Amino acid sequence: MIEVQGVSKYYGTIPALRDVTFQVGQGEVIGFLGPNGAGKSTTMRILTGFTPASRGTARVAGFEVHQSPLEVKRRVGYLPERVPLYDEMVVGAFLRYVAEIKGIARAARTTEVGRAMERCGLLGMEKRTLRNLSKGYRQRVGLAQALLGSPPVLILDEPTVGLDPRQIIEIRKMIAELGQDHTVLLSTHILPEVAMVCQRVLILNEGRIVAENRMDQFQGGDAEARARELESAFMAAITRDRALEEGAA
Amino acid sequence: MRNTWAVCKREFASYFSTPVGYAAAGIFAALAGLGFAVYFIDYATMSQSPRLYGFTTAPDFEETMLSPYLVFCGQMIMFLSPLLTMRLIAEERHRGTIELLLTYPLRDREVIFGKYLASLGMVAVLLLFVAVQVALVGYYTRVEPAVLLLGVLTVFLMGAAFSSLGLFVSSITRNQVTSGTLAFGLCLLLYFTGIMGEYLPKTNPTPTAWPDMARAVAGILYGLFRGFVTELDLDAHAKQMAQGIVRPSDLVYYPLFSIFFLFLTFRALESRNWRSGS
Repeated sequence: MIEVQGVSKYYGTIPALRDVTFQVGQGEVIGFLGPNGAGKSTTMRILTGFTPASRGTARVAGFEVHQSPLEVKRRVGYLPERVPLYDEMVVGAFLRYVAEIKGIARAARTTEVGRAMERCGLLGMEKRTLRNLSKGYRQRVGLAQALLGSPPVLILDEPTVGLDPRQIIEIRKMIAELGQDHTVLLSTHILPEVAMVCQRVLILNEGRIVAENRMDQFQGGDAEARARELESAFMAAITRDRALEEGAA
Repeated sequence: MRNTWAVCKREFASYFSTPVGYAAAGIFAALAGLGFAVYFIDYATMSQSPRLYGFTTAPDFEETMLSPYLVFCGQMIMFLSPLLTMRLIAEERHRGTIELLLTYPLRDREVIFGKYLASLGMVAVLLLFVAVQVALVGYYTRVEPAVLLLGVLTVFLMGAAFSSLGLFVSSITRNQVTSGTLAFGLCLLLYFTGIMGEYLPKTNPTPTAWPDMARAVAGILYGLFRGFVTELDLDAHAKQMAQGIVRPSDLVYYPLFSIFFLFLTFRALESRNWRSGS
């Protein structure tokens, strides 16, 4: 569903991504792990067509992002990291606007918006102004707009950041559910989260993929044990990468 | 088309869910009202004793009252338009909503035309105030419909031209204040360029001591420069048109001006695809 082949991205002369290659199959839930500035958001921005790659190709559902941006954008629901919203709008109006832009027919719009709001726990919030929403509710609205139109691919940049524990659990449950009929690519700093919802994890460091693990290769009995194993795999990958880097230098 | 309309609706609605729309409309209503009163009093004074002002009969209403007033309204829109256009794209950048906007299945042209249409909608709202005043006049006296229609069209086209300039400036800035200031400065510059143009000598200003060839070349260059400066002036074109005198160059001037800046806006938005920064 997602194919990234040799993608590099430079901001000026500073490399943000260096020769990144990976694939995500249909219906997979993939976690992006990595320290700050590892290139998680940059990869997502390239996949959603927001920023172009400096080199390499990125394909979503067979369409090259730079060559057929509209085809890609129709198939991707995107939750940006900071959840930018039009502060002066109310929740319902914003979601209806997004539904219209995503090409949902007028007759189906109300049901579709209702469905997304229900799924994200936004029922009864329709008349609330976006400016006054708490971080958690902003996150839900961000998620709801990504879900509108049921795009086959969901790209979620740190979907649980800033949420309270209860909300985190809800959102994780939701992502796990979404994984049944969507391809999901999500990024996070939180290791247990990946252990709980993802089938596969890509570890990025300084713009490169330094490790790739399937969650079922960790033998731990429960999610917590798997998270600990993942944690050590993560630390090992990052340290190994640093050592290599210093060796090269 | 539907997407353009969706973008336009959201943008237009946000004029009125923030104070911007009310501020612009309120200030314009006050200015237009004052302008109307001043031009009307002037006209009344002149028609009471036309000979004092060099008229042989009562002065022509359209020429002395209506069209100067409409041009005045156009100038006021020029000063207010940066307020209407400054946030169009700059604000999306500033708030980060551009990341959503540009990852929705929208073409660049749908984004740009949608936003442009919304600002034209605001210009039309401002013109409603003018309509009220003109309707009042129309109730008491017969107004030449051609002059009225062309006059209002002129003001609208002026507004459209300033909006396109403001939209372009907004597309190259990240901050509303920068965007507004820059657009306002450019409008003023265009305005004063026009005034300056009137002071430029009409004949070849090169010294006669120069060789003929050099004078001829300099003269042609000067002519082009002078033509450019005088034609650039936004309200010079309005003055003729508002009196119902249709010159093709005036009629084409504003749409060309708008197309030029819309084109630049396209390029500015597109530049994200090849610039190396973010």
